[in-house]
Amino acid sequence: MTTLAPTGFVALSGALLGIGIFGILTRRNFVLLLIAIEIATNAAILNFVYFAAFAPSAPLGISGQSIAVVLVGFAATEVAVGLAIVLALHRAKGTINVAEVTELRS
Amino acid sequence: MSLPEVAFAILAAVAVVTAIAALLVRELVHTILWIAIFFVDLAAIYFLLEAPFLGVLQLGVYAGAVTILLLFGVMVTRKRIFSRDAATGIGPVPALLAVLTVVFVATAFGEFPAGAVSIRAYDPTALSVNLFGPNAPWLLLLGLIMLTGVSGAIYLVREGRE
Amino acid sequence: MDALTLAAPFAPELVVLAGALLVFLLDVAGVRRLEVGGAIASAATAVAFVLVIADLGFAPLAGVRTLGAGRIDLVPGAGAAPLYAFSSLGLVFQGLFLVAAFLVALASLGRPSTERGAPIFYGLLLLATLGMLLVAIASDLIFLLLAIELTSIATYLLVGYTRRDPRSLEAAMKFYIVGALSSTLSFFGASLLFGAYGTTNLYAIRAAAGTVGYPVLALLGFGFLVAGLAFKTTLVPFHAWAVDVYDGAPSEVSAFLAGGTKKVGVFAFFLVFLGPVLFARAGGPNPFSGAPFDIGPVVQVTLAAIAVLTMTVGNVLALLQKEMKRMLAYSSISQAGYILLGVTIGTAPAIAGATLQVLAHVLMKTGAFLVVAAVASLGVGPLIDDWRGLGAQRPALSVAFALMLLSLAGVPLTIGFVSKFVLFSAAVEAQGLYVWLAVVGLLNSALSVFYYGRVLKTIFFDPAPAPRATGAVAGAAGPPPLAVGGIGYARAAAIGIIAVAIVAIGIYPQPVLGPIQSAASHFWAGGP
Repeated sequence: MTTLAPTGFVALSGALLGIGIFGILTRRNFVLLLIAIEIATNAAILNFVYFAAFAPSAPLGISGQSIAVVLVGFAATEVAVGLAIVLALHRAKGTINVAEVTELRS
Repeated sequence: MSLPEVAFAILAAVAVVTAIAALLVRELVHTILWIAIFFVDLAAIYFLLEAPFLGVLQLGVYAGAVTILLLFGVMVTRKRIFSRDAATGIGPVPALLAVLTVVFVATAFGEFPAGAVSIRAYDPTALSVNLFGPNAPWLLLLGLIMLTGVSGAIYLVREGRE
Repeated sequence: MDALTLAAPFAPELVVLAGALLVFLLDVAGVRRLEVGGAIASAATAVAFVLVIADLGFAPLAGVRTLGAGRIDLVPGAGAAPLYAFSSLGLVFQGLFLVAAFLVALASLGRPSTERGAPIFYGLLLLATLGMLLVAIASDLIFLLLAIELTSIATYLLVGYTRRDPRSLEAAMKFYIVGALSSTLSFFGASLLFGAYGTTNLYAIRAAAGTVGYPVLALLGFGFLVAGLAFKTTLVPFHAWAVDVYDGAPSEVSAFLAGGTKKVGVFAFFLVFLGPVLFARAGGPNPFSGAPFDIGPVVQVTLAAIAVLTMTVGNVLALLQKEMKRMLAYSSISQAGYILLGVTIGTAPAIAGATLQVLAHVLMKTGAFLVVAAVASLGVGPLIDDWRGLGAQRPALSVAFALMLLSLAGVPLTIGFVSKFVLFSAAVEAQGLYVWLAVVGLLNSALSVFYYGRVLKTIFFDPAPAPRATGAVAGAAGPPPLAVGGIGYARAAAIGIIAVAIVAIGIYPQPVLGPIQSAASHFWAGGP
């Protein structure tokens, strides 16, 4: 049976979430934004998998893995929707640089 | 350190490095390469956590489908953004927020037992029984989300008559 | 149990889903007329509304009741971990969501059919509504978040559905980025709560809110959820996107976002945060006196700070706006602050007040954005100054708009007064520091009178700018003028219904207030 320390996993997912948020807030290219969002979402999925692996009881723990399965599918759908918006915007404006799209003041 | 711990340390380091590299390299095509390695690396971590089904799913959906989708997005829009805009100004405030996130989560893991804990392995059969049994509404919702996303996305990108 | 018995409690959801699928099928079959989709959407939401009201125990509709009285407000045993449950407050919210969806569907029925956008608009509208209905029956954190995401993804696409308009696509892009960030934060928070409590069931989390083995982990989970859900509810400091998105989106969609989908976040706040707030209110022995954080009070103080900040910032920024849509967007942000007071105070009357405020907000904001859409279709510009003298030219429309603004300001004899009265008196009743929340709310209401009054003065007392074309002014290439002076029957009907409802409930609130109060006390006692 494999044994591992849970602390390392929490540190890893915290780091990945940090990198993801950092990317979402600093990148201005839509594809990079999508990638940053995926990194952060993967941190959440990783959380569910290892909380399932270290769960005190099996019946509760296994729903963690179920949630992870559902989230993988959800994240893929989200990327597809994001790309559809990118393509439509690219066709309408010829740029996917968020900073260049400035008709609405913010 | 035991063998799994060494393996985890290496995989975790690779995950962090590839995630950072994906966001910082200048060529968008290289970004896709780094993120593909990141997804494969996470799949390896799932295998290490004795979640083989999720590992395979991660390889198929993320390393396969999502990477191709992103690559497709880069190729279709490459005229304007190739090797440009990939690295823009990094403001201090978002960086602070990211650091705060890491610090807070690091505080939380102080609550966990520091030593090694044995990993609870789940049989894929048990997982599917759980997923299609008591937790089936999650899958139903996922199906509805996919229906919405696909129908709207098709509408958004198809050539319409005006 | 046969399939029919199993499906019967979900009749409203199934009706809405069937409507969405029908719209998609007709689109595939080549039926291009927008009116068909609009009629299906209006009918589906109206039927679902009737079913929900019947389930709430409205006597004349007892015949179509699909949910036995024994299935509502049922608190399951500790062993059972269902993902959904029917609470009467949830049914009330379902009713509110359906009202918003119905009004938007009805109002967009009158859209000129040569305008861009296929019938898929109504399919997405119904799917978003389906997500909202599912939020209201959630009793599991993941179920709740997935239902919110169903609504979110449908609304990203609704905002961008005029796919050749860069403004609307830009709004869709901003909305998407913010929405994706918020869903990521929410799911991360949910994963931490799963780690701390070992379950994602909201009953279990509410029961164990204060007595958790990993308090810091739980607090972080709640913190990420506050951030994630605050984006959806447009609370300060997570509000910046809302103004741009409401401004850039087609006006009907803005009405749906401000009047409808935003309330999803409100109900999620009720579901998730009442547990820790009740724990803080109970003031019982602190189970982790040695721990660095105490969950309940920290959550409650955070919510109170966000509520006060949201009210104040929203109102001050609304005061500075020159464009009508942006002013309404900021006022919508400030209204979210009042609503958040309900869960911050955490008593049954406060929840009833917040729910009533949600109802008021659904009517007022949907109505106001629909009036903006109607006025824009008359060729009036986006600035508040462009509305000068509209009162003389369009008396009926202007009076309806005035009613909505007066209600937003909380003037007596409108629904806005009733809801604020119930909410603030609940705060005063709760004693102690909660009284100050009521004081801040009242000061903010007074502040808001200034900018609503300024708009009313512009409409009714300022002289009209010299030459203004009336009727449809879209030019030779534009669609033909619509009925009712260029507004269209359907839109005029929707605005009329809202104006009447605002006054009717304002004068005689009891038929609405009674069920809401009883639902709120059930929710407060049972949960989640």
